[in-house]
Amino acid sequence: MDILVCMKQVPDTETKIVINPEGTGIVTDGIKYVMNPYDEFAVEEALKIKEKMGGTVTIVSMGPQRATEAIRTALAMGADKGVHLCDDAFEGADSYSTAKALAAAIKPLSYDIILGGKQAVDHDNAQVYAALAELLDISHVSIVTQLDVAEDGKSAVAQREVEGGAREVIEVSLPAFIACQKGLNEPRYASLPGIMKAKKKPIDVIDLAKSGLSADEVGEKGAKLKIRKFFLPPEREAGKILEGEPEELATQLVKLLREEAKAI
Amino acid sequence: MTEHVPGWFPGGTPTNILTAVLFLGAVGIFAYVAYRLVKILLLGAPEDRFDRIGDRIKGVLVFVFGQRRVIREPSGWGHFVIFWGFLFITVGTVEGFVRGVWPGFTYRTILDPLHLGFLYLPLNLAIDLISFGVLIALCIGFYRRYVVKPLRLESDDPHAKVDATIIMCLIFVLIIFMFLERGADINIGRYEGSLAIGSPAWAPISALVAGLLGGPIASDVQLGQQMVFYSIFWWIHNLIILGFLIYIPFSKHLHLLGAIPNVFFRSFKPRGELPTMDLEDETVESYGISKIEEYTWKQLLDEFACTECGRCQENCPAFLTDKKLSPSRVIHHMKLHLKEKGRILIGGKPEDALSDEEKAALETQLIGDVVTEEEIWDCTTCAACMENCPVFIEHVPKIVDLRRYLVLTESRFPSEAQGVFRNMETNYNPWSMGYASRADWAKDLDVKTFAEAGEADILYWVGCAGSFDDRAKQISQAMVKILNAAGVNFAILGTEEMCCGDSARRMGNEYLAQTLIQGNVEVMANYKFKRILVTCPHGYNTLKNEYPQFGGSYEVVHHTEFLLELLRAGKLPLPKGLNGNGVVTYHDSCYLGRYNEIYDPPRELLAAIPGAKLAEMDRIRHKSFCCGAGGGRMWLEETVGERINEKRSESAIQSGAKTVGVACPFCLTMFEDGMKAKGEEENIRVADIAELIAADL
Repeated sequence: MDILVCMKQVPDTETKIVINPEGTGIVTDGIKYVMNPYDEFAVEEALKIKEKMGGTVTIVSMGPQRATEAIRTALAMGADKGVHLCDDAFEGADSYSTAKALAAAIKPLSYDIILGGKQAVDHDNAQVYAALAELLDISHVSIVTQLDVAEDGKSAVAQREVEGGAREVIEVSLPAFIACQKGLNEPRYASLPGIMKAKKKPIDVIDLAKSGLSADEVGEKGAKLKIRKFFLPPEREAGKILEGEPEELATQLVKLLREEAKAI
Repeated sequence: MTEHVPGWFPGGTPTNILTAVLFLGAVGIFAYVAYRLVKILLLGAPEDRFDRIGDRIKGVLVFVFGQRRVIREPSGWGHFVIFWGFLFITVGTVEGFVRGVWPGFTYRTILDPLHLGFLYLPLNLAIDLISFGVLIALCIGFYRRYVVKPLRLESDDPHAKVDATIIMCLIFVLIIFMFLERGADINIGRYEGSLAIGSPAWAPISALVAGLLGGPIASDVQLGQQMVFYSIFWWIHNLIILGFLIYIPFSKHLHLLGAIPNVFFRSFKPRGELPTMDLEDETVESYGISKIEEYTWKQLLDEFACTECGRCQENCPAFLTDKKLSPSRVIHHMKLHLKEKGRILIGGKPEDALSDEEKAALETQLIGDVVTEEEIWDCTTCAACMENCPVFIEHVPKIVDLRRYLVLTESRFPSEAQGVFRNMETNYNPWSMGYASRADWAKDLDVKTFAEAGEADILYWVGCAGSFDDRAKQISQAMVKILNAAGVNFAILGTEEMCCGDSARRMGNEYLAQTLIQGNVEVMANYKFKRILVTCPHGYNTLKNEYPQFGGSYEVVHHTEFLLELLRAGKLPLPKGLNGNGVVTYHDSCYLGRYNEIYDPPRELLAAIPGAKLAEMDRIRHKSFCCGAGGGRMWLEETVGERINEKRSESAIQSGAKTVGVACPFCLTMFEDGMKAKGEEENIRVADIAELIAADL
């Protein structure tokens, strides 16, 4: 099986997000970047399929220079090679122009299945995989918590989460895009030999020219979405502790709920 | 009567020839087996333990001949008597044996020409008395082993129990026959003036036995009878000795051969310094230890030195709370495996010539078959095993080596550890907190960072707990109050500080540990300071003892040492007193006490608090009982048996103290949880010593 994994590098989930003064984006100074946690499930699932059926796992990622670290992490986990879409022209992309660039990088590759996270935890749009599947003209199954690829590699049965904890079972012919959800597996921790080997594994860097796309089709220029403003929710105020006799407290509480919290 | 020795009598020809042949045969077999054991040791990796020869010899004198660690507990005196008894018995046996080849020989033959003949009778007196002492010690030993059944003698190997019984019986029988032989010897009177003849006071026990055998004799018939007695006893005594010689390497008495070199080759490095690993070499396919022969020869010698005395397990917090781990079992199982596998490896037979049994032995996995993963992860690295081992076996580094293999090579570890490793990698702390909030605890306090100050006398290493754990932050805040009150010029690294690497290293994640350590060394190289002050014993230990491996040599001081300095200089602001009745107990943190021998400063500080009365727990100082958080166990679930922290908290409750003074943030967490579990959190306060001192600031 030729297995592709679409992966994004995102700010660490513990990052304290600070909006820049212009409100056009976040302050990136001092941010630690990690592999998108949902993409980790995809990498793990890809490695499991490879262990069972043989083949190769290729990581496809779009991002600035620093995204190489996340690709290396996936290679250390056991993926075979990386494809890194890296060019200033790709900056500022929305889901659509991201999918466009990814599709351009993926089209020349041979693939039997494509995996990726159900969403990236930075912008949380959860749209790239659908757009990508459309551009590649393949099916996609989203929010997958269990995946069984048929022995012949021609189809797969995926379970996906639906409302109320119910499961939907979908049989899909391959190639298809599988968008992975937590619970699908427990991503492995890279071994040291894995880390050492990853240093020597190939990463194919694809810039704008190599992608065959024009600057108007990708990045901010190719985006169909314009972000107008970023802002943070108001900081939560400290709770109040009322003291006194029960009757008095009840009166106070009602008063506060009505006047301050405007809850009643 | 030497010239009239009959041929059948010991020393007579041809009996003496038979004796010599048997002796040479037994010694030959012994030498061959010993040689093979050395060859097995040499399968191990190289390690230099040949420095400081003088100290090594001194160590042998103190710990082997002085039995210092053996006699730390009362039952050890039994061993002391047996050990010294055996030396004297051997001296007596050699004389008897030589006489069996060379009739008429006594030590006087050697001593007289040296004008030391006067030593002979006292020597005989010593042999007589101490051998009798051994008999008494053995009786107590039998009583302990089969009636009292102390915890430390518990073993899962039935053969080991049989082995112990055989050896004790052999020694017992040996001494009985030695006395019979000496008794008959007195009756024969063949070395007039030499032994007890005319002065039975010099061999009182043997003289008593002589009487029981029918002495003194009055006729030739009786002489012949006594000569037959003597022959029989002599043969039994000496055959037991020769048999023992051959049996030693196959029994727990292998420690007779292993213990002395093991004490000699003991480590002089700080106990808290784990051996480093070369992670730069990209040709390496496997990290850590997964095969017994990958250990160093010294680590293998540990196995041969083990006497199965069980002092390690008697002090092991995991074993005492019904976990699977027993350090003595680990070493014993490794020994059996090493002997079995080593024998085949040194045999050098081609693979197709191996029997099925031999193939099975080669396929036995060190991790899984010999030592289970559960045992490997049970260890809190508290070093109670190492501290209490009379022969200096180094259990903890061996267990960490196995963890290194599991984590680095196989990426196999308790699932809880993965998040911890990830957090340490990304945010440089084991909690899942953003690294940028590391200095938030100090926001409203008067604390400078090195980034602001550039230099300071003291680099206050806050550590992950002190920075991120809500309860431990109070220790940091208390320290800051004290430092400011005492006018100490200090600064912190703030968000530039990373996890010290202790937990990662002890969990076997050497790669992560080295990354963190190197990061910290680089950061600290940018600033000027005289000393590092640490409130967490884990950080203290690793900064002090392990950072030098990575080019970071600092003067490191634990806050209890530092506060004591302030106290002595009259600069420590003491509180008015302690809450409650003033009775306080102190818990020795493993990494402060056993690892760095800081036992007294915390106690002196507590004693300095007005009205404080120190009440000690049952296990203190070098025998202190781990809180359960060491070796990365802080971050792992504890699901088997009793919880270690609850057991320790019980000790604190029983001490009658209303305050438990600790000097480690992990211990603090473990005790507070323990007190909650025991329903004592309202009655007993757990606090770091710094918090108790800073109470009124």
